[in-house]
Amino acid sequence: MINNLILMNGYGIFVWASFIITFLACGIFYYKTRKTLKKYEKEFIKEIEELSSKEKKIVLENSKIASKILSSYNKTI
Amino acid sequence: MFNFFYNSNIFSWIEKLINFINSIFFVLLLAALSFALIFSPPDYLQGDSVRIMYVHVPSAWIGLGSFTCIAFLSILSFIFKIKNFTLITKSIAPIGLMFTCVAIVTGSIWGQPTWGTFWAWDARITSMVILALFYIIFIAVNKLINDETKATKISSLIAAVGLINIPIIKYSVEWWSTLHQPASIKLSGTSTIHPSMLMPLLLMFFVFILYCALIFLMKYKTEIIRIKKKNLKRL
Repeated sequence: MINNLILMNGYGIFVWASFIITFLACGIFYYKTRKTLKKYEKEFIKEIEELSSKEKKIVLENSKIASKILSSYNKTI
Repeated sequence: MFNFFYNSNIFSWIEKLINFINSIFFVLLLAALSFALIFSPPDYLQGDSVRIMYVHVPSAWIGLGSFTCIAFLSILSFIFKIKNFTLITKSIAPIGLMFTCVAIVTGSIWGQPTWGTFWAWDARITSMVILALFYIIFIAVNKLINDETKATKISSLIAAVGLINIPIIKYSVEWWSTLHQPASIKLSGTSTIHPSMLMPLLLMFFVFILYCALIFLMKYKTEIIRIKKKNLKRL
């Protein structure tokens, strides 16, 4: 059964190569996308933290997205 | 109702959707892989090599669908100056490029046991390579041109020109004598694929669509953060 699954009547190398290439590409792409997102989130939070408390208050009041990024980032760390 | 379309509302929905897709994705992937590699029958002519179809065909569909979507959104964005559409096209393009490349590579691997060669300058394969080139130019223009208005204009033009290639890819197997087989699944008319193969194929397609949605949401969120970061001082 396992042998049949691996060899696939001589087509195993082609089938497995296709599946491995596809899912490897998807995995690497997911990892890179997630890494970029986290990098931007981190940089954005860092820039907010660098603002004076008055500026920070204005930013968070005027931008719902900024406060959402801040809260979601705090949840993940 | 229109409140939904505010960026801040979209942003919170993105979070919820990412979590939802993450929660169901691996179960569906496992089911799709089991059907594709174990439960679906081998083809009477191609044998087990037909299983490559379960990754090749959904990848090609996504490659074609993504570019069609990019082209229409680019044209609308160019006419109506909707910035959100530009963000969407920028987020979709890398996904489309990746799946187009996957379709070309897996198709090439499938070609060896079926046609006896990894590569032939066949009409379908060549037009898919041209599609990949359009994706590369589209992404490069958005990355390399710093002036966003100019980049949007040029990339919209590229997408509109590239749209001509989509029906060429679709009908290449009918217009020219090609090595590539004609479509087995038809939206109008009778499909020639057996349900025992169609079901795993559609399941795998659904899993790929979920993956695309996940990547798109993460890329779209990155674009929103990038813009917010740029405009931080203005707030």
